[in-house]
Amino acid sequence: MTARSSEADEHAGLIVLCATGDRAALRRLYDAEAATMLGVATRMLRRRDLAEEAVQDAFLRIWRGAASYRPEIGGGRTWIYAVLRNRCLTLLRTSGREVSPDDDLPEVADDAPDPEAVVSRLSDASLLRRCLEALDERRRGVLMLAYAHGLTHGEIAGKLGMPLGTTKTWIRRSLLALRECMG
Amino acid sequence: MSAPAPPAGTPIGPEDEMLAGEYVAGLLEGPAETAFEARLAAEPALAAAVARWRVRFAEIDASAAPVVPDEAFWRRIETALATAPDLPPQEAAATVAVTGAAAAAPPPVTSSRATPTPARSGGLSDWWHSLTLWRGFAAVATAAAIVLAVGLGRMVLAPPPPTFVAVLLAETGEVGAVVHVFADGTAELLPLENVAVPSGRAMEVWTKWSDERGPVSIGLLDRPRTVRLSTGGLPETRPEQLFEITLEPATGSPTGRPTGPILFKGTAATTL
Repeated sequence: MTARSSEADEHAGLIVLCATGDRAALRRLYDAEAATMLGVATRMLRRRDLAEEAVQDAFLRIWRGAASYRPEIGGGRTWIYAVLRNRCLTLLRTSGREVSPDDDLPEVADDAPDPEAVVSRLSDASLLRRCLEALDERRRGVLMLAYAHGLTHGEIAGKLGMPLGTTKTWIRRSLLALRECMG
Repeated sequence: MSAPAPPAGTPIGPEDEMLAGEYVAGLLEGPAETAFEARLAAEPALAAAVARWRVRFAEIDASAAPVVPDEAFWRRIETALATAPDLPPQEAAATVAVTGAAAAAPPPVTSSRATPTPARSGGLSDWWHSLTLWRGFAAVATAAAIVLAVGLGRMVLAPPPPTFVAVLLAETGEVGAVVHVFADGTAELLPLENVAVPSGRAMEVWTKWSDERGPVSIGLLDRPRTVRLSTGGLPETRPEQLFEITLEPATGSPTGRPTGPILFKGTAATTL
């Protein structure tokens, strides 16, 4: 974990350098994060071309918005992923959902949203994983469908065959349980 | 917003706490999202709750199966950066003040998500247009700066000799690929054997430095090519550390562990 947190501090430093126009700093952020960012975007958007668009947009915004980053609010890595996630969600919501979660597009045939796969990628030692695993599978599943796959309340309700109101309640209870567990 | 906003350390109510969690999970849409973002700008306590939720969920992003872009992707980003002038720091700071951006996200992101339909590129292009005047007289200087920055970038990026090399072999004993690990922790994959990757599949690169943690994905390739591997945040490479390439679904192993056949594998050795 120390490697990760010192790396996060390094990210903060690189973002500050980006704000001074240091292109090499942006390249270092790219080298450290581009592959994971593309992984995050691919999981949400389920299309490589859209995922690349989201990551490219994110780097432009990181570069241009670097001066608005304030280290006291949060780590550099968290900020980068907040930017990326915003881009992914915007693309998901404004592309008219060309990429419906139930489409069986050939290139994503093996990648139907799979919330348990998301949980299984978390480190065995992580608090997040322990707290998610304390919830039953469907209750942690709704959170993963939202956060990792970018599904809306309505899409989650459709996928689980539950009424919208029940889905919203489940998500809130899951969030509450997660916050209690993680502090 | 009749009462003055409470400071960041103030506890917020359970309703706001849940709203913050839903926002970070991407579940607020349309007017609910717009209204929440407006409050974020004015209420540091709410922004702090959002920041805490982002930290709670962060590992989900950090553990996503990496999809390694090719070098052309960086060139596309550089081109996009060069197409419009860089925003000088004071301009960026002014934008923050004007839009009262949410604490955990930069202004263009916030505003573009709040814009209804043409939001996808609208936010950014509006922003560029507001800079047209500035662009006019700064373009020449910017172009010069980009040339310089790119040049410096290349110099910084010229890799030193690797500290570890792993030669990855097929079951038949043929050399399939080589992994170079550098002193700064970065690594690259150089394929030597052409593999016809079936449609809908990809080559996933793994490393394992302990049985306890198991294999960790460090790259996903649609075809054999030289790529940087995603070793950020991993422990230092050690001698005998295992590297392997398996055949997986196009978007990576669904389980976070190798599921497909092993194409090549080998262990790291120190260079002399």
